[in-house]
Amino acid sequence: MNKIFLIIKREYTTRVRKKSFLLTTLLLPVLYLGMTFFSGYLSANSKNELKLAVVDASGKFTDELMQKANASFPDNQLKKVFEDSAGIAATYVSKGFDGYIYIPATIESANNIMLHTKKVLGSASGVEQQINMIWNDIKYKELGIDQEKMAKLNEHISIKTVSSDNEKADGKVANVIGYFTAFLMYFIILVYGSQVMMGVMEEKTNRIAEVIVSSVKPFQLMLGKILGIALVAITQFLLWIILIVVIYNITSKMSGDVSAIGGIMGNIGEVLAGINIPLIIGLFLFYFLGGFFLYAALYAAIGSAVNEDLREAQSLSFPVTMLVVISILMLSPAINNPSGPIAVWGSIIPITSPIVMMARIPFGIPSTVPYWQLGLSMLSLVVGFVALTWFAGKIYRTGILMYGKKPTWSEMLKWVFKKQ
Amino acid sequence: MIVLEARKLKKHFASQKAVDDISFSIDEGQIFGLLGPNGAGKTTLIRMITGIFYPDEGEIFLENKKFDPQNDVGKIGYMPEERGLYKKMKIGEQATYLAQLKGLSASDAKTKIRYWFEKLGMDTWWDKKVEDLSKGMGQKLQFVTTIVHEPKLIILDEPFSGLDPVNANMIKDEIFELAKRGSTIIFSTHRMEQVEEICNQIILVNKGKKVLDGTVQGIKAQFKENLFRIHCSHPQSNHSIQTDLFSVIQQKGEEMIIQKSDEVSNNQIIQYLLQNNFNINGFNEILPSLNDIFIKQVDGTPDARIFTTT
Repeated sequence: MNKIFLIIKREYTTRVRKKSFLLTTLLLPVLYLGMTFFSGYLSANSKNELKLAVVDASGKFTDELMQKANASFPDNQLKKVFEDSAGIAATYVSKGFDGYIYIPATIESANNIMLHTKKVLGSASGVEQQINMIWNDIKYKELGIDQEKMAKLNEHISIKTVSSDNEKADGKVANVIGYFTAFLMYFIILVYGSQVMMGVMEEKTNRIAEVIVSSVKPFQLMLGKILGIALVAITQFLLWIILIVVIYNITSKMSGDVSAIGGIMGNIGEVLAGINIPLIIGLFLFYFLGGFFLYAALYAAIGSAVNEDLREAQSLSFPVTMLVVISILMLSPAINNPSGPIAVWGSIIPITSPIVMMARIPFGIPSTVPYWQLGLSMLSLVVGFVALTWFAGKIYRTGILMYGKKPTWSEMLKWVFKKQ
Repeated sequence: MIVLEARKLKKHFASQKAVDDISFSIDEGQIFGLLGPNGAGKTTLIRMITGIFYPDEGEIFLENKKFDPQNDVGKIGYMPEERGLYKKMKIGEQATYLAQLKGLSASDAKTKIRYWFEKLGMDTWWDKKVEDLSKGMGQKLQFVTTIVHEPKLIILDEPFSGLDPVNANMIKDEIFELAKRGSTIIFSTHRMEQVEEICNQIILVNKGKKVLDGTVQGIKAQFKENLFRIHCSHPQSNHSIQTDLFSVIQQKGEEMIIQKSDEVSNNQIIQYLLQNNFNINGFNEILPSLNDIFIKQVDGTPDARIFTTT
């Protein structure tokens, strides 16, 4: 036991002290925030004003109505001109317009009206809304609808879901949390799983494996590595949470300044308020550890079987990576129908359960995930990772001392049942 | 006292018998040579002694008690032929880590490593990384990590490969000293001149079986062909030798190589030479080198690992 602790300590300290660990821990949140800043900045600056001339043959588009519409759509300025369409077509550029709109005399029967411009517009919907706003005002006036009647017409009923179990199961929030936790799980399994594989390969190619296994059992070495790397993942995860909380507090104190970060963090706060956070974090840790152990064991077995060549490792680990990808493919149907058969079975089978179950849990326990399903899922995950760790350990102890040709999966299966 | 005893060890792999019924025993303080061609089963044998493999059959006794890999790892120091260290780890830390895995406490490990580093001129290495070392330096470090926990049984597989003569001598002296202080050393190599120089006792394995077992002198005597090298001169330059006592195999100037039969004693030959007025300047028995014995024993046997198509 003491020796496993030594191995865990070495795996943990050598990784945490690496510059790359510090860099990814700090850079990832910064990068993420930078990107949200950048996209916010871009969208704020990409709006360009559109000046349009309006040739009104119908005589219904008055200056008053157009000014009212211009006030509501500051990006698009409409100005009435008194020329015929042929005249304005030749002169709108020199008059400083970006384009012109011709309103035909029979606007009631026209299906669409034309916007002529040389600019490439992403979409004319802004202008369309603006024209329709004017058009609505004209129609209301013709039909004799005043402000009061209009307000009555615009009354809208919205629907909010409240679960009968008195949980705050908000479908939208559950969606966000479900996707977020499931993808986090996916990311952690792939990134840290491959770290386990690389670590094992390092020991094998450095030829230190034989020195170590003359002191400890191969199984202890494998387990120590997996546990050490799991601790690194948890450390990084906690540091990210702390960083996000710190940034959230700083930005929320910068009151008045509606920064992009503040907005996003505010949303997160709002989302989290409707959710049982301790339960989700607790279950996340459980499924994270279970899922990580399960996949890390497989990755360790692969790392022990291959030689220096990274391509060998990739081709051998492809089936394992596919298992993770299958879980992600099940994610969308599982979130759309969190009580459906894909969701239920996906969250019970240990290969997919870490990701699929994490997507279901935010929808509520026991309303969406009955206790028996949660219990069965947790039990099968524990059984699954114990079995797979045993299985991987058998491959590992043979593979770690074997040099030469890359084995196939069927050869590796033979190692499992070979006596040592 | 017998430190290590192997009784009828067997280990079969899918395609071959790697170790097939090998027994031997080693006394305390011996330097024991484990010889054999490539693929003879040496590594498998060593892996069983170090507890990496379990034998299929047979038993291993360490200090007259049944070998228990879990608790006896601290008594064994093993330097495999395929050896290596963590490249990115600092040297002092790495040596401490390996010693701790052998059961030393952290502080104990550090003092002992510092002692050895000083003794072998490595004291400035502590905070360097292994990737900064040359191959020979890495080898020295590996040697220190193998013996730092003062094991009763030290197993060295090709310990001198990659070392320059100065460092090789340094390690050789340490091996002699460790043996003098009561450690038992198993020394596996292909370099027969090193075996003749260092080992007291050897076994030779080939194709999983023990072929030879004994002291270096005993084995040489066992394979002697009663060959003698004689330096002598005779007053008559073209004197020819006519005798039933021995036959002349080769003659070149004053040196000749003769072969006698077992019944004839050395004294009889000298007597004959004296009676025939030879002036004897030298008379030596030619013992076969271990190299010759090795080649004779192993040559002609097909390669151990013949791949069958499965």
